[in-house]
Amino acid sequence: MPLPIKYNLRNVFVRWRATTATVLCIALVVAVYVLVQSLAVGLEKCSQNTGDPRNVLVVRKGATAESSSQVTREQFRALQYMPQIARDEAGRPLVSADVLVMITLPRRDGKSEANVLVRGVSPTGFKLRPQVKLVNGLDSRGSNVVSRWFVPGKREVVVSRRLAARFVNFNIGDVFQTGGHTLKVVGWFDGGNSAFDSEVWMDTEEARALFNRQHYSSLLMRVANPDAARALIARIESDKRWPLRAEPEVEYYSAQTRTALPIRILGDFLATAMSIGAIFAAMNTMYAAVGARTREIGTLRVLGYRRRTILLSFIIEGAILAVIGGILGCLLALPMHGYSTATIGFETFSETVFQFRITPQLALEGMIFAVLVGVAGSFLPAMRAARLPVLAALRSV
Amino acid sequence: MTAASFIIKNAFRNKRRAVLTVLGVSVSVFLLVTLLVALREVTIPPEDVGASLRVVVRNKISLGNLLPARQRTIIERIPGVVAVSPFTWFGGKFKNEEGMTFAQFAVDPAKIRVLFAEAKMSDAEYKAFEADRTACIIGKLTAEKYGLKIGDRLMLESTVFPLTLEFKVAGIYEGTTDDRNMLFHHQYLEEAMGGFGLVGMWWVRVRLPEDMPRVVDAINRAFANTSAEVRAETERAFQLNIVSMWANIKILVGSICSVVAFTLLLVTASTMSMTIRERFRELAILKALGYRRHDLFAFILAESFGLAMAGAALGIGAAWVAYMECNAMQVLTGGVFVSFEVTPRIIATAASVAAVLGIVAAIAPGIAVARASVAEGLRTLD
Repeated sequence: MPLPIKYNLRNVFVRWRATTATVLCIALVVAVYVLVQSLAVGLEKCSQNTGDPRNVLVVRKGATAESSSQVTREQFRALQYMPQIARDEAGRPLVSADVLVMITLPRRDGKSEANVLVRGVSPTGFKLRPQVKLVNGLDSRGSNVVSRWFVPGKREVVVSRRLAARFVNFNIGDVFQTGGHTLKVVGWFDGGNSAFDSEVWMDTEEARALFNRQHYSSLLMRVANPDAARALIARIESDKRWPLRAEPEVEYYSAQTRTALPIRILGDFLATAMSIGAIFAAMNTMYAAVGARTREIGTLRVLGYRRRTILLSFIIEGAILAVIGGILGCLLALPMHGYSTATIGFETFSETVFQFRITPQLALEGMIFAVLVGVAGSFLPAMRAARLPVLAALRSV
Repeated sequence: MTAASFIIKNAFRNKRRAVLTVLGVSVSVFLLVTLLVALREVTIPPEDVGASLRVVVRNKISLGNLLPARQRTIIERIPGVVAVSPFTWFGGKFKNEEGMTFAQFAVDPAKIRVLFAEAKMSDAEYKAFEADRTACIIGKLTAEKYGLKIGDRLMLESTVFPLTLEFKVAGIYEGTTDDRNMLFHHQYLEEAMGGFGLVGMWWVRVRLPEDMPRVVDAINRAFANTSAEVRAETERAFQLNIVSMWANIKILVGSICSVVAFTLLLVTASTMSMTIRERFRELAILKALGYRRHDLFAFILAESFGLAMAGAALGIGAAWVAYMECNAMQVLTGGVFVSFEVTPRIIATAASVAAVLGIVAAIAPGIAVARASVAEGLRTLD
């Protein structure tokens, strides 16, 4: 007959002074693991959220990012009338020829600076990216202002509201300098937690003139249906005149996860190292528990409980300890969910804004981690408890 | 029996617990050292010997924008300037590797020796590099990683320019803080691009460190209000600007450091309170024998401090062996971290954190012992 779980639960709580430190240790391991991994998840979600399944993106073959790609005007002219490309009400092809320029701007902290990705988009660019929406923003006095899109041909930009929180002169109505030119912020947009949240948008022709760009960086095309997409991609890729690569926009972005990889590795490394420390702490606690309850264990044995029942019981007790720690750790991490943060993106080499994303799967992983620590930490002490000689145990004080 | 041997005997009375505590502390200290080194690497990159004489000139808009090649003669005429070389990022992918594993820059071979005086390479290799337009020189680390030898050829597909170029290894250099880069003729790039007349950056060597501020200022002013305004700064300032782009990752690593330090406290404190609870009766007897409160507190403090320091020594020692002797981090990350140096300062930081926590961990049990009356202590069974 197994010992009731209640026996272990009560033991954990009655000896709270000895168990608290271990529970906290495990909680911190889980919290660190969940938080660091939630950053990686946030970055990956950010890429996965970007793009429309109906769009095809064209970049130069060999370019790893849009910003290092070139598409010539001749290529743009030849490609925009492809029969597979959808058209708007006025019969114009839905193609946006974008220019990506990296500009260095000062952060709000007044000390550092970072690269910001400026995307020049064609007038059709908004229609192709419905997830990007104008939102009300703040002016330099902090009052709420209505945004508007930039006027083509003017030196106006619309910035992501997430970037606006990080860089100076990004309030609506502000102007900022880059390369001797002055740009005016006329609105804020929300990119719906996508990669566009890390961008500043302006008119593509204006951007080309301002930054002396002979070529576009990429072309984004809307196709009528998936079959048309396949046909279009096959057509572009097979043409020897064009050293271009076409792929569904969604696929392009979902492959942009290089930034998340080192964070994942960091998270795994921290969790492994910290959990080794936590296992030692758990072992200490459980050995003390076994030591303090020697007589009790002897009594249980006399009552007829078997060695393996005692073994299992102590392992369960370690696991309970760990589960409490795990829950606590998840709760500690939870307030950071959705919090916006940023680092340099390895693909774009510019400020990439993303959010902590604590998914149920991450929480579950954290809990599994905790239980592993608990079981590993209680196994040896449990063995000791199970092997105690009955008579000696009963006689001990 | 002296007080010292009494404390040591006590600390190792429960050997298993002492060992577990020391191991627990050492894991935390090891992790703390690792994080501090990583943090240092991303905030204060290693400085080259020659850096105090070098100026980096880039496009004011950002690094991603190129500069006109005609700027060169204007910079060369500025008093105090000894050498100017273009420095253009090629972003080449080697073989079929996913990303870029080492950086390649197009430079002026004639100026490299003056610009990077700390790079060690034989005269013959320098001559061979200068003589052949398709020649390149590579850092020792990259050469070893790919088993490249002088005379080998390598193909690189650029991610920045629409080019795939073939290079011949003319020399292998060492002696800089990052012996990984590859340098090749700017003219080769220029010709392959069909004469595009642009460069990525200018790297400038000044005559004396005192010339630095004036040269930086002169370069900045020389191109103000032109179509390509520049931003000249010292190599150090340039490096620090680059690492500042890590942004919030630094804060993240920093906060994890404090969490790790806190777990250290938890491990030590829980051990000490367990130990004291077990010895409560004994401590009461000591009290009855006439030992004073501060004596008892000193015993507890010494034990806690000793355990923490033993753990710290083990953790720091392990980190030293792993990172300084075995270069574990360079091997594990495939060269993301170049130096990963455990500095004396970091050792001191980790040791003092452990010391402080060892002391703090003794406070609560110490107070408990001080408060308890002798009679109460003697009555305790557990």
